[in-house]
Amino acid sequence: MPSSVLGQIRFEEIAKKAGLDFRLKNAASGQFHQVELMPGGVAAFDFDNDGCMDLFFTNGATIPELRKSGPEFWNRLYRNNCDGTFTDVTAKAGVGGEGYSMAVATADFDNDGLCDIFVAGVNRNILYRNLGGGRFADLTAKAGLSGIDPKRGKMWSVSAGWFDYDNDGWLDLFVSNYVAWDAAGEPACGAPRSRFYCHPKEYAGLPNQLFHNNHDGTFTDVSERSGIARSIGKGMGVAFADFDGDGFTDVFVANDSVRHFLFRNQGDGTFREIGLEAGVALRDDGSAIAGMGVDFRDFDNDGLPDLVVSGMINDGFRLFRNLGKRGLFEDLAQRTGLEMGTRPFTGWSLGMYDFDNDGWRDLFVALSHFPALERYLGRAAPLANRVFRNIGGRRFEDVSAGAGADFQTPALHHGTAFADFDNDGRVDAVVTTLEGPVKLFRNVTAGAGHWLAVRLKGTTSNRQGLGAVVRVTLPDGRTLYGEATTSVGYASSSEPLVRFGLGLNAHVKQVEVRWPGGGVQKLSDVKGDRTLEIEEARR
Amino acid sequence: MRRLAILAVLMAHLTAAQASRSPGYAAYERANRLFVAGKYQESFNAVDEALKLDSKLVPALTLKAKLSMAANRYDVAKASLEQAIAADPSSWFAQFLYGFQFYQQNELPAAKQALEKAYRLNPRDARTSLYLGLTRESLGQTQEALKSYREAIHLGEISGQLDTDMLLSGSRLLLRLGEFDECRQWIDRAIKLAPNSRDPHFESARLSMKTADAARAAKQGEIALGLRGDVTDRQVHFLLVQAYRSMGREQDAERHAAAIRALDEREGK
Repeated sequence: MPSSVLGQIRFEEIAKKAGLDFRLKNAASGQFHQVELMPGGVAAFDFDNDGCMDLFFTNGATIPELRKSGPEFWNRLYRNNCDGTFTDVTAKAGVGGEGYSMAVATADFDNDGLCDIFVAGVNRNILYRNLGGGRFADLTAKAGLSGIDPKRGKMWSVSAGWFDYDNDGWLDLFVSNYVAWDAAGEPACGAPRSRFYCHPKEYAGLPNQLFHNNHDGTFTDVSERSGIARSIGKGMGVAFADFDGDGFTDVFVANDSVRHFLFRNQGDGTFREIGLEAGVALRDDGSAIAGMGVDFRDFDNDGLPDLVVSGMINDGFRLFRNLGKRGLFEDLAQRTGLEMGTRPFTGWSLGMYDFDNDGWRDLFVALSHFPALERYLGRAAPLANRVFRNIGGRRFEDVSAGAGADFQTPALHHGTAFADFDNDGRVDAVVTTLEGPVKLFRNVTAGAGHWLAVRLKGTTSNRQGLGAVVRVTLPDGRTLYGEATTSVGYASSSEPLVRFGLGLNAHVKQVEVRWPGGGVQKLSDVKGDRTLEIEEARR
Repeated sequence: MRRLAILAVLMAHLTAAQASRSPGYAAYERANRLFVAGKYQESFNAVDEALKLDSKLVPALTLKAKLSMAANRYDVAKASLEQAIAADPSSWFAQFLYGFQFYQQNELPAAKQALEKAYRLNPRDARTSLYLGLTRESLGQTQEALKSYREAIHLGEISGQLDTDMLLSGSRLLLRLGEFDECRQWIDRAIKLAPNSRDPHFESARLSMKTADAARAAKQGEIALGLRGDVTDRQVHFLLVQAYRSMGREQDAERHAAAIRALDEREGK
């Protein structure tokens, strides 16, 4: 729409050059433990407020002990040196962690201006408070976020995300739990000489968890009271958006092989699960898919957040378009070409970002089949990632073939974090690979359009303005929309900035921010190609 | 339901076994009669007797494979079929069953290889083309799959074997490809062929949703719900939720959503 920008989206893989030497270890040893399949969450966030996005990687542990027996299993924090390189600062920061980690969610939960870290895992969750000066403190126990359920004990958590469900100006925590699992009781699947990872149907599902922020560094488990725990699923990715425009942020949970959940925030501290009624619970033939990554943002610039969900081979990834009437979505995967374009793949994390800054959010998916299924699928598990260009909000076109040589390399890709690591206005991607090195895909798209990044600073709202909706009006009157969220993809967390591709427009007519509490702020005639900081006007 | 589908495939080929006068043939014939009568254990005993008398009796080996698949013993079926193929490499039916059992086990590359061989041995069997289509589709070979579905339908028409599986497997792929006109033709033919089967009406309802005809989708969905088929109640209820919500009939939508939740509860999901 806003332009005729036609730059081929291209990436260059520069992890090694950038000093990112992280390797994700899942401790697989031929026993086909389900947990080995799932790790790989990564976060892009600015822990030292230097304007350059840093990285946090989660990592596995020994099985069956579920202990980080050595540095090779540590979670890792890398500081962005703002010169194209990163430095491993894990030890100094004290964030190596413990337990078999899966996911990371980053946000400033205590509104002190410093971004904090929550790590979710199989046997342990950890909350790190950012103390400043590159140091973090483990506040898990004091905060009440160990995740131990009174009835079920510690559940296997796969994803987590921060959002302010009650608009009190403090971020609450949602934790997505997968299945009941223990190493000793692992079922055996497949013939004795050709074992494979069991289907999720072999394991019992779990409820998700919601923790309310008490404003004092502690949280209260409101999973039961809020109605969240009533729905038993096999939770994977989680994403947030106010899909019905009522001023309260709603929650979508992608489930593995059972129906997805859409928790509508009723504005009174409770949620109602309406995935079936909204049309997002199942594929259009009524089948559940192996849902994994999810992004809950506007793909067609109509101001309504849509849903994209990755799945397993022959599922076809789903695109649920928000119709904006009576809470209805329509499954647009077939019509946009996403269904046939993704059926051959198994997708893990993903993100809808405007990689060529033409004004339409494209789709990046991290791909790999499950290991040990070669004889069934007829292809090896490692896959190259894919990028789909958004053509006018009507269809997705697979432009991976031209996305650069580095983009064609197969691996067991899992987690993704999206950010503009080099501050050149083009969104980059970090992808973790199972038992392999991390990849940093630097966006080198030539001829990309103009851009605008909005960094929000809440005052009565939460400090990072998560949940705010930013509307940009272009000189010709057309509008672009973005929601502030860090919860994107699978088990991962992306930068909190709200980004817009402006195409040929070097400036915008108006930027409007609707803050989570309902306050609205407008700025006129804003120059593009920069990061604009907007502080919430005090009410 | 899966077991019934397997038996349906197998029954269609009961007469395909080649007659062969061998010491075990009488026992084989008895086993076959028992199989048709649904007396599987007795049939299994008789087929073992036949194979004791002639271990290379191909019809007995394929029958044993069919019985084994019906009993979910794919390892036994596979071994029997390998013996049958070794005894008579020109037996297209043994090859077909060999491919079919791989397909049932989701071993797609092996299924494709065996089914292609069966097709070369007998290119006029509609079921071989159907399963070749299903296998190719699962392997992501969309155009080849569509070609196989078209061929299955054509061969089914010629041989009188045409069934709803052939028409609906093709229509589902056409729906994914957005080829709605041809999809509608195949679905309508399936409804005509089996008006009292759930699946054609369900597919008709799905297509109607895709073409923004929620009223027709609801009508076909309600018909489907009252019939039996491979499509589950949950699938039909979900379609009806969408159809009624599109029409603004919230109470009807709510009723079907509640039915799904009740099913989930019952199944402990």
